[in-house]
Order: sequence, then structure tokens, then C-alpha cells
Amino acid sequence: MAHQTHAYHMVDPSPWPLTGATAALLLTSGLAMWFHYNSTTLMTLGLLTTLMTMMQWWRDIVRESTFQGHHTMPVQKGLRYGMILFITSEVFFFIGFFWAFYHSSLAPTPELGGSWPPTGIHPLNPFEVPLLNTAVLLASGVTITWAHHSLMAANRNQSIQALTITVTLGLYFTALQAMEYYEAPFTIADGVYGSTFFVATGFHGLHVIIGSTFLIVCLLRLIKFHFTTAHHFGFEAAAWYWHFVDVVWLFLYISIYWWG
Amino acid sequence: MPARLSSRLGILRSFATSTRHQVKNKVREHQKLFQEDNGLPVHLKGGTLDSLLYRFTMTITVVGSCYSVFSLVKAAFPQKNK
Repeated sequence: MAHQTHAYHMVDPSPWPLTGATAALLLTSGLAMWFHYNSTTLMTLGLLTTLMTMMQWWRDIVRESTFQGHHTMPVQKGLRYGMILFITSEVFFFIGFFWAFYHSSLAPTPELGGSWPPTGIHPLNPFEVPLLNTAVLLASGVTITWAHHSLMAANRNQSIQALTITVTLGLYFTALQAMEYYEAPFTIADGVYGSTFFVATGFHGLHVIIGSTFLIVCLLRLIKFHFTTAHHFGFEAAAWYWHFVDVVWLFLYISIYWWG
Repeated sequence: MPARLSSRLGILRSFATSTRHQVKNKVREHQKLFQEDNGLPVHLKGGTLDSLLYRFTMTITVVGSCYSVFSLVKAAFPQKNK
């Protein structure tokens, strides 16, 4: 049997890039169909294909790494670069929304009453639920670090407990934020204040949900003994993403909730 | 696997609420399954369920593509209602 004489991973042929690309087509055309022709069939198909692709693609990566041993040091290095670059791209995504917020709020137009918050808008008290949310995310940053150190110290019980608490805090944040959205005295349609507030915090909330999902997958893998004390990049990637989500919230809290 | 985890006391010491019934380490078995020299690509190497999931995903991908193209062509030629 021929063996490779290099440390890199030549992947098996896979259908998921094709199904993923098609999923993107179905999502976008589905959105157009929903907006203009009141039909949700295509969009639903798009969401379903996206979900199926993601689940099987990432399942295959777990197989290639944990079960087939393809993730050598050079491969892991590449994955680290990849995750850092992805998170960097997400930082720029959020910079756009912060730019929009500061553009409108630093020089409020006469149409807004020349003030920020605009006339008639009653912003949320930053020292109520938003402050609790800040505490929740900061605490989750501590617990995920605790989980990481426990993992590296081969302390199974503590790593599972700490990661579980992290996930719980993430879900608690989402629940609190959902309740805030429901109870808010202003909507996304309330001028540029509503737009900047809900688009920025909304995308952040979506990232919290994504991050929580990633953490739940890591928790399941942790319970199933997939991670070793020295090799657990999936967990590290999830932790990096989670810290990024936390930092974005801190900027949101300071800029939009407090200063705004 | 450390002896303390397989003992009854070890089970009691596990994080009680979620691992009351001790989770067994099946990584070795999975490694054996996925390293078997059977020529199967990784997305089908797990067994029958893999094939079913693949076929389902590919079916909705193809059906969706056709419906998407059909919808876009239909949208490109609007019917004028008298």
C-alpha cells in the first residue's frame, strides 16, 4: 500500500462543497422569492441543504482528525491560521455596523431632532438587563478558560462542568436578549436608531447562537473522549470564537447601550 | 482509561447530572472503523446511515437547483395581467 511521504492532508473527494454552494444559491434565490413572491419553499430548501452540508462536512472533519489521524502539526497550523483569518473577517463585518452607528450618532441630523438618542426614542437602561448580559458573557469567558485549563490538566470532571456552565451562560444571554427584544419600546423601523441598534445587536446575537452551538458540539466531543491534553484544536477554535463574541458585546455595550 | 473512572466510586465521582450512566470511550473502535482499508471515502465510511444522509442531501440539492432555476426563469418573464 502506498504511503504519503509528507505531513499534509490530501482529503478524500467530497460532495459537501457542491451541496454547500448549491445551498447558497437556494438561500439567496429563496430570499428573493420570499421578498417578492411570498413563497418560502426555496428558502426552506436552502436552509435545509445548508444545515445538512454543515453537519456532514464537520462530521467528516472529526472523522479525519480524531479517527483517521490526519491532523498533523502542519495541518493544525493551517487550521489555526484559517480560524484566525475567519475571525478577523468577522471583526471587519462588525466594524461596518459600528461605522454606521457612529456615522449617524456623532452628527445627528435635524430630522432626528439634532440629538442622540433621537427625539421620541426611549433607549434601554444600560444598567439593567444589558449590564447583566455583560456580566453573563464575561463570566462565560472565565468558565471557558477554566474548562481549557482543566482539559490540559486531564481533569475530565472539571472540564465537562466548566464547559457546561459556559454553554448555560451563553443560552442565558440569548434568552435575556430575546426578552429584551420583545419588551423594547422601539423597533427596527424606528429610524436610524432602530436600524443601527437591531442590526448590530441582532448580528451579535446570531453570533452568540453560532458560538453556543460550536461550544455544545465541543462539549459532546469532550464527553466522548475526542480531545487529548495536547491536541484539542476544535475546542481552542470554539474558545477563540467565543472570546471574539464577548469582545464584540463589550464594544456594543459601551458604544450603543451606554454612550448611545 | 484511568481505573478510577471505571470503578463504582469513579462513576459516583463523575459529573453526576450528565454522566450518571458512565460514557464509554469508543474512540478506539471508531479509529478502527474509519481506518479500515475498504476504499470508501470518509463521507461514506461510517456505514448505511452515511449513504442515506448523502442521498437525501444530494436529492434536495438537485431538486432545489432545478426549482431555483425554474423560479428565476419564471420571474424573468413576468406575465402581464389584463
